[in-house]
Amino acid sequence: MEKTYNILFAGVGGQGLMLLSAVLGKAAVDAGLDVMTGETHGLAQRSGSIYVHFRIGKPISPLIPYGSADMLIAMEATEALRYIEYLKDDGVVIMSKNIMHPVAETKAVALDKTRKTKYYTLSAVEEQLRKVTSRVIALDSLGLAIQAGNARTENSVLIGAAAACPDFPISSEDLKNAVLSLVPPKTRDANAKAFELGTEAGTACLQ
Amino acid sequence: MTVEDVKRTENSKALMLANEAMVRAALEADVKVVAFYPGSPVSEIMDTFSEVVDHFGDFKMEISANEKVALETVAGASMAGVRSLTAMKSVGMNVASDAMFSIAYTGLKAGCVVIMADDPYAHSSQSEQDSRYFGEAAYVPLIEPANSQEAYEMVKWAFEVSEKYRTLVLLRTTTRVNHARSMTQLGDMNRTPFERKKWKDVKDQYFTVGAVARELKIKLLKKREAMKEQFENSQFNKIDEGEGETGIITSGVCYLHTKEAMRNLGVSLPVLKIGTINPLPESKISRFMKDLDTVIIVEELSPYLETRITALAKDVNPSLRIVGKRDGSFSEALEYNVPIVEKVIATTLGVDTSVDYNRYLERAAELKRDLPERVPVFCPGCPHRGTLWAFRQALTRLRIRDDIVFNNDIGCYSMAFLPPNEFSDSMLAMGASLGISAGMSLVLEDKVIAMVGDSTLYHAALPGIVNLIHHNSNVTLFVLDNSVTAMTGQQYNPNTPFDAGGRSARKIDMDKLFEALGADSVTVIDPYQTRDCIDPIKEAIGRDGFNVIISRRECALYGDRLKKSRGERIPRSENDKETCRNIYACVKEFYCPAITIDESDYKIMIMETLCDGCLECRQVCPVDAPRHIVGR
Ligand SMILES: Cc1ncc(C[n+]2csc(CCOP(=O)(O)OP(=O)(O)O)c2C)c(N)n1
Repeated sequence: MEKTYNILFAGVGGQGLMLLSAVLGKAAVDAGLDVMTGETHGLAQRSGSIYVHFRIGKPISPLIPYGSADMLIAMEATEALRYIEYLKDDGVVIMSKNIMHPVAETKAVALDKTRKTKYYTLSAVEEQLRKVTSRVIALDSLGLAIQAGNARTENSVLIGAAAACPDFPISSEDLKNAVLSLVPPKTRDANAKAFELGTEAGTACLQ
Repeated sequence: MTVEDVKRTENSKALMLANEAMVRAALEADVKVVAFYPGSPVSEIMDTFSEVVDHFGDFKMEISANEKVALETVAGASMAGVRSLTAMKSVGMNVASDAMFSIAYTGLKAGCVVIMADDPYAHSSQSEQDSRYFGEAAYVPLIEPANSQEAYEMVKWAFEVSEKYRTLVLLRTTTRVNHARSMTQLGDMNRTPFERKKWKDVKDQYFTVGAVARELKIKLLKKREAMKEQFENSQFNKIDEGEGETGIITSGVCYLHTKEAMRNLGVSLPVLKIGTINPLPESKISRFMKDLDTVIIVEELSPYLETRITALAKDVNPSLRIVGKRDGSFSEALEYNVPIVEKVIATTLGVDTSVDYNRYLERAAELKRDLPERVPVFCPGCPHRGTLWAFRQALTRLRIRDDIVFNNDIGCYSMAFLPPNEFSDSMLAMGASLGISAGMSLVLEDKVIAMVGDSTLYHAALPGIVNLIHHNSNVTLFVLDNSVTAMTGQQYNPNTPFDAGGRSARKIDMDKLFEALGADSVTVIDPYQTRDCIDPIKEAIGRDGFNVIISRRECALYGDRLKKSRGERIPRSENDKETCRNIYACVKEFYCPAITIDESDYKIMIMETLCDGCLECRQVCPVDAPRHIVGR
């Protein structure tokens, strides 16, 4: 692989972002590709903003330069926007439609007696993202996971969607095998289904 | 997945965090004793060792009370003739350094390696301390890797150097190296059984004072001279040949940023990458810059290399232009990345950067203008949330909000300075709340209140407590007993009956400890019975003398783990909308991430996927609206 393919993963602490990055790492290594990541481990608390810089091909630094990510995968919609400086023009965004509202925002919404203060919405996120790229895949990842038979297969939905992107450097086959080899055996069928649903939804969004 | 890579016996390539690669290297080097106190960004080193301690069964491991004890433990093991290793964060070395300076004098026996991690950007530390100075100041060799592979190789080399020169070796990393994952070529795993030794077979003298110290100092200087050549020629100091009159000197992760920046710019300048920070490869540096007209020095934090290189340049190339921190090209603050390094190289060469990075930053700032910030908060179910709420209620009811000073300490509860609590008057270093309280109570009219967690209590707070009690100080101390060292990943500490790998240990009896020390009173509260905590807190604060309030309830994440291992369900809560009167007490002063607003009726809604079922929110609700979901 001559070029480096950069993915920025974003999410909220407790969502399983590290596992998502581990699955993709295994897929890339099994496909014989070179991988490098820059991760956030730091503090144990849940609910903070976290990211992983994930680089395949010929990366040298563990950090993706601004404007150089080919893909941004967000497990929570506002977190996609939070790291937008990394996305290249017309890069791909794959994100869950799920929004986890920060507590300070909840307080502002609750205490505004005029009810003018509203939560930041998914459509606001999408509108901003579309100023940078037309390739936005917003998925009801939880809904699709439930449809696949297990609410905890959201990760597989998102990875399935990545497989739908034509320039993605790892084949759909390799991606799926990595997912299935790392999930608990009992949940294999549900994860396989979730992966497929993700690919279908991703393909639909990109058309 | 990677724990498997740490365990496997054959050599192979693996995708590893530097923290994991260093564990693997130590095991390949047949390390026999490891001891740690956790801290980011090195916690995964201790956690990985904990995961494999039973698998190997041929090394000893302890979770120490603090970094000084950990360092002394591994030094003792080295004196007793076995290889040993510890790891600590930058500020951990401040705690350990008293012993470290003396150990440098006496020297050691078997290989002894200290991994020490700085944290540019202060991702998870109190400061952006530059610990490279420790090596030179203590006459201890200090080396610095750029990635997992080099970290792995340096650990093995460090054991050899340590044995050859009978010295401690410091391996300094930065957060970006510890937490970067890259392909690492591993070696064979050939471990030997653990064997106890006899002191008479290994013994030596390890004391230093006065005349002895003066003699040892001379030896230490000779040792440093003796090491120089091997360090000069170390494979970790390497020159990448290039073109032109401008060269770059760098080390650590900055080397990687530099190489990528040069690739982006399509230039190939000569680069000297330094791996041995102390002793520095002075001849190599001098040769490298002799014929250059400009050298760019790329290093995070202090101008450590720059200062030393400038001194060398005075002799070999006085007209050399040095681009670094002193000329304002680079900052001593924050951490670097490719764009930062690329900009300086581009400016120096008079070309444009490969990408207009500022355009992306400016556009992103514009796009994110209305995006709500996500500041750190306590986890759902966190007992600290209830303790701090009750503490504030008690102050309000006593009408003494403006007549107290609150010295906080280091742990999850440090977040008391953030909303919704936004109170804490100081928060400096582990255990510091006690000493600061001692000084303030000598001077202030106000009630002095301190707060520590259980891990901090046993780490460095005890001397401060003894001091306060001994001096009859009027200080109220909160001890947040959540069983574990929560903030760094819920590790065990002297407050649990467990050691590394879940092996059994003796739990220190905290209540008896305070009684024995002579505390004037010890009150135990349960933060899940949040309302009931207010009165006992009021009473304790109202009393004269040294009064202790122990708030006891396990960390929610640790508690969940225990529940799962016992096969218990984690209950979830819901808001009874009939009862809810939109008072928002649970929102205003509580900040639980599981609580949101239903915009259809503006009642609160508890997110089942996030809720931990603690019902602390019911405790703060004047009408008891939150309740457990029955049947689930
Ligand atoms: C000298 C030093 N060592 C380690 C750390 C890393 N550290 C930050 S918070 C913390 C945990 C403190 O635990 P505890 O006081 O029990 O509070 P909890 O997080 O459990 O609420 C540690 C070890 C540090 N900041 N300073």
